Amino acid sequence: MSLTLYHRHVLEDYLAGFGEKANPNHIAVIRRPAIFSILAHRAHEAAVEDALKPVEGVHLRYCAPDEWLVVSTTLGAAVIENRLGEIAGASIVDQSDGRALLRIHGPNVRKILAKCVAVDLHADAFAIGTSANMLCCHVSVNLARTGADTFEIVVPRSFCGSLFEDVMEMGREFALTAAFADS
Amino acid sequence: MASLITCPHCGTRPKEEFSIRGAALKRPDPAASEKDWHAYVYLRENPKGRYQEYWHHAAGCRRWLIVERDNVTHDVFAVSDAAAVRGASE
Amino acid sequence: MTSYRLGSAGTVNRGQPLTFTFDGKSYKGFDGDTLASALLANDQMLMGRSFKYHRPRGPVTAGSSEPNALMTIGTGARAEPNVRATVAELYNGLTAVSQNRWPSLSTDIGAINGLLSPMLGAGFYYKTFMWPAALWEKLYEPVIRRAAGLGKLAMQADPDRYEKSWAHCDLLVIGSGPAGLMAALAAGRAGARVMLADEGFLLGGSLLSESASVGGVSALDFVKAAIEELASLPNVTLMPRTTVFGWYDDMVFGAVERVQKHVAVPSPDLPMERLWRIVAKRAILASGSEERPLVFGGNDKPGVMTASAMRTYANRYGVAAGGKVAVFTNGGSGYRTASDLIAAGVDVTTIIDARAQSADAVPEGVRMIRGGAVVDTKGRKRIDALIAERSGFQEEIACDALAMSGGWSPIVHLMCQRGAKPVWSDEAQAFLAPDVGSAFVAAGSAAGAQTISASLRDGAAKAAALARELGFAAYEMNIPEVEGEYDPAFAPVWYVPGAKGKAFVDLQNDVAVSDLGLAQREGFGHIEHTKRYTTAGMATDQGKLGNVNTIGIVAGMRGVSPAQIGTTTFRPFYTPVSFGALAGTSRGEHAAPTRTSPLHDWAKKNGATFVEAGLWHRSSWFARAGERTWRESVDREVQTVRSNAGLCDVSTLGKIEIFGTGAAEFLNRVYCNNFLKLPVGKARYGLMLREDGMILDDGTTSRLSENHYVMTTTTAYAGEVMAHLEFAAQTFWPELDVRFVSVTDQWAQMSLAGPKARTIMSRVVEDDISDAAFPYLGARAVTLRGGLKARLFRISFSGELAYELAVPSGYGEAVADAIMEAGRDEGICAYGVEALNVLRIEKGFVTHSEIDGRTTPDDLGFGRMMAMQKPDFIGKRQSSRFGLTAADRLQLVGLRPLEKLEEFSAGAHLLKEDATPAMANDQGWVSSVCQSPTLGHTIGLALMKSGRERYGETIVVWDGLRGGQVLAQVCPPVFVDPENRKLQG
Repeated sequence: MSLTLYHRHVLEDYLAGFGEKANPNHIAVIRRPAIFSILAHRAHEAAVEDALKPVEGVHLRYCAPDEWLVVSTTLGAAVIENRLGEIAGASIVDQSDGRALLRIHGPNVRKILAKCVAVDLHADAFAIGTSANMLCCHVSVNLARTGADTFEIVVPRSFCGSLFEDVMEMGREFALTAAFADS
Repeated sequence: MASLITCPHCGTRPKEEFSIRGAALKRPDPAASEKDWHAYVYLRENPKGRYQEYWHHAAGCRRWLIVERDNVTHDVFAVSDAAAVRGASE
Repeated sequence: MTSYRLGSAGTVNRGQPLTFTFDGKSYKGFDGDTLASALLANDQMLMGRSFKYHRPRGPVTAGSSEPNALMTIGTGARAEPNVRATVAELYNGLTAVSQNRWPSLSTDIGAINGLLSPMLGAGFYYKTFMWPAALWEKLYEPVIRRAAGLGKLAMQADPDRYEKSWAHCDLLVIGSGPAGLMAALAAGRAGARVMLADEGFLLGGSLLSESASVGGVSALDFVKAAIEELASLPNVTLMPRTTVFGWYDDMVFGAVERVQKHVAVPSPDLPMERLWRIVAKRAILASGSEERPLVFGGNDKPGVMTASAMRTYANRYGVAAGGKVAVFTNGGSGYRTASDLIAAGVDVTTIIDARAQSADAVPEGVRMIRGGAVVDTKGRKRIDALIAERSGFQEEIACDALAMSGGWSPIVHLMCQRGAKPVWSDEAQAFLAPDVGSAFVAAGSAAGAQTISASLRDGAAKAAALARELGFAAYEMNIPEVEGEYDPAFAPVWYVPGAKGKAFVDLQNDVAVSDLGLAQREGFGHIEHTKRYTTAGMATDQGKLGNVNTIGIVAGMRGVSPAQIGTTTFRPFYTPVSFGALAGTSRGEHAAPTRTSPLHDWAKKNGATFVEAGLWHRSSWFARAGERTWRESVDREVQTVRSNAGLCDVSTLGKIEIFGTGAAEFLNRVYCNNFLKLPVGKARYGLMLREDGMILDDGTTSRLSENHYVMTTTTAYAGEVMAHLEFAAQTFWPELDVRFVSVTDQWAQMSLAGPKARTIMSRVVEDDISDAAFPYLGARAVTLRGGLKARLFRISFSGELAYELAVPSGYGEAVADAIMEAGRDEGICAYGVEALNVLRIEKGFVTHSEIDGRTTPDDLGFGRMMAMQKPDFIGKRQSSRFGLTAADRLQLVGLRPLEKLEEFSAGAHLLKEDATPAMANDQGWVSSVCQSPTLGHTIGLALMKSGRERYGETIVVWDGLRGGQVLAQVCPPVFVDPENRKLQG
């Protein structure tokens, strides 16, 4: 007997009600991102960080001293596992099923996120390329700025539905929409 | 409404991101005297004013911090990573 | 009805009339009016009844300190009580109703309290309703509450949305009058991130009511130009309708923005109010100053209001407070009001100045009484005359409105909310803002500046200095010239003696000078005691208008300076803030975030009823057609697991991945039992202790490779255990190489339990899972048929042969479906946490019902697990204390009723037969109870004194809470398969 197993995104039911059209303020829910936790071990901290920087096709997200998330919307988990697996002094853990990736974009994105997080997201304080763990609608997430008006939220799967509803509520004023996206 | 703590790793954050464990005491040596162990486990100075506490940045970097602050005025004098402090004193 | 609307002037838009109702009667006003200004324009001076004596009252201010004109605005669920009409923005269709009166505002039965007022002085309630105490709740309090009070709540769910938002800025400017505007301009032009907040619906503060000209144009045009410039600066945020109500630690300010309070039909996509938490590097308090009322007989009657309020109604709203106005003043403000009113065409009859002489210019045609005072007023729903007194001679002067000015008090509340006290100044005869450091400073009249030009200068200079401090280039500000400003200097008059009627010092709470005197005589002299004894300074206005007069009068009575009396404590909120705004979106189902398992939808389609477990929603039981009670479902689930197999969602257990060359040593130190020699591919049950020797949590940890472990924790303690491990690793043993990461969300985990579990699991897993290849406590990576990588653990929480299978969360539902399909012929069922609980009680497994922070491993029968030979583990040192090893400690036992049909409940206590229920006789308590379908009767786990020595004893299970007692037999805490044959089969 061989099992054919379907994969289900945590927001499947939540997104069912949205139409096709994306408004200027929009959340793209990445369907199958690859997300890994990277932990650097004692005496390897600097070497691991140096080894992570040149890895292609992935984005590095800062979590804590000697701890990062590696996120990719283009590479599969197996490819990343291979590339990261070679880094000496690092432990890697696949979190692709344990985290959801929401990309929020639009002219009012900072006003929406100001209702969700306490961190100052002004470009002078949180520049493009910055990322950090923080509370977002009472949930601990990793938030990254990937563009002037674009941020990415990496949220634990079990909290994702609750967080998604809250962010959508905060975006109501600006007609925030949401839909799945492949990358 | 809010208090802010500046985490050495994450920047300025509201207190809701942290949990506080209390006085930043050093764990005694396993072979230390009964008296020292008793004091460590049960006795607290509970001063009014300036003292050091363990704060856990639970919703951020999840590092244990030593926050030195005045618990009357909430003036924060120093926030440091506990591992760095304890590691250095070993 | 006379119209009091003046011909021209003001900021109201006469091209846009609005219709509104007050007490059911329809009125007209204009866009830009407040409810109070529109009512005054319609000759409706009577706006409320006072709190205690039900005296008729009109507005005494034109702003947020208003104590009298409180109304209920809106209808149905949107009816909001105690809204100050003086700041309520008028909109088309507004419905306002007066409060605290019956049957109507003009005829109020409660006014009889006014006649009884000699009996109802301060402390009346304390002295009168002393006994019997039982009557307080039943009689006194309900009656008093009905008689005395403010508006009534709608008692319906609030239909509107509320939001909270954070904001960050370099400079927060609080107040947009002359000082605030210049401060915002100075810092804004310098390039700082500026937020300018004002409680008013128009920015401009006192300049909106000002007749002087600023920078060669009218004050109003100056405001318009300044706002236009500020709005054009991308680094400046303007926040009208926003009250900064509190100053908190670390320069965080709380503010509430009334987003849609002024809208007839609110948009469902916008919040009604928005709560702001503003993190400011620097802040300027430019909140202006409050004009003090004068305290004289009859000073509370409709028609008596502050001079500045009367000016505001005339200049800003184009409304005359009366047709024939008198002024009672002790400073320049009264004169300015007289001249502004005359300029607007209002008849001003007399100025009564308490001072013998002054340099203030007396407008032409106005009678002047120097060194005089008002000692009484006449009239009911509006005054029709005042009694003036000079040199012992009294005179009645006809008037229908009276402007009073008792001098000025800077508004310093926010700066005093974190413990600093305002400082009395003999020179200013006022309390001034305290020095609270350089990050938060007062400017303009809040800082004691007296004139507009001084405020403009002060605001600009202080903001420029703060901007420079923050590293912004200095910007040279031109200070506009002010023409036609007046000198508001005054000489203090705390109260006018010889009043016949009551001279009120706190209008909202009906506190008169006589009450303050009574408080002093009866020993409540400290100002905080005076406040509580008389209620001066309480309720919605918190004494904004009356407090300084209260202090001045008490100082006078005691013959000391107001500096020695001091102020009462300032606390947030500056003005009332709704619970809706404070809650924001966190209400109803969104009161807290919820967590859902990856098997949530699998459980739903299998008929689960969910239960909240912390933030999680866990499947509790799975009802099938024909089952009428949860018990029927749970019994069937338990029996199916014991006879066939069941599948249970255990994804909510905490899962922590542990790596490092120091991981084994680390685990050995955090668990009380041995972990150094755990073989790869094996799971081990472990107990973590707190440093005081009590159990923190239990769970299993599996070694997946030499330096790689995965730990499971209980659902409830997942977060706690993670923090505990991090604490130990970072602060106890930072030298150990060990790293953790939570993978709770990565894995959908399901427990397949029952005699047919292996048969079913082997249909899903490719690997050999025979007992020889994968014995009890095996743990390893496996491959599912079809190729999915998974983890399999042979562990059991039911006492049956059982496996826990972990698969990536996205596949959880599909894998659970596949297992149900693979087990269909074996009679598999889904089971929930209720059945799980029954199964574990039958087997005597413990949960946090037993691990309650007071139990040691030995208490629960795990004494032999303690590896005391280890050099160190958390909790080791305290475990050998006498108290933790005493022979009469409570120990885990089982209980079964002597009579099979009898039942008992968890929480019941244990007593020896014939013992009186008392703590001295207490033998322990029942921790867990279930109806065991396997045994056919109630069973329980209990913690009992020296329990393990007492198997076979008959004990009374005494339930004081629910009543009743049951005889039970003490037995070992394992009811099913004590030899573990099923578990290891």
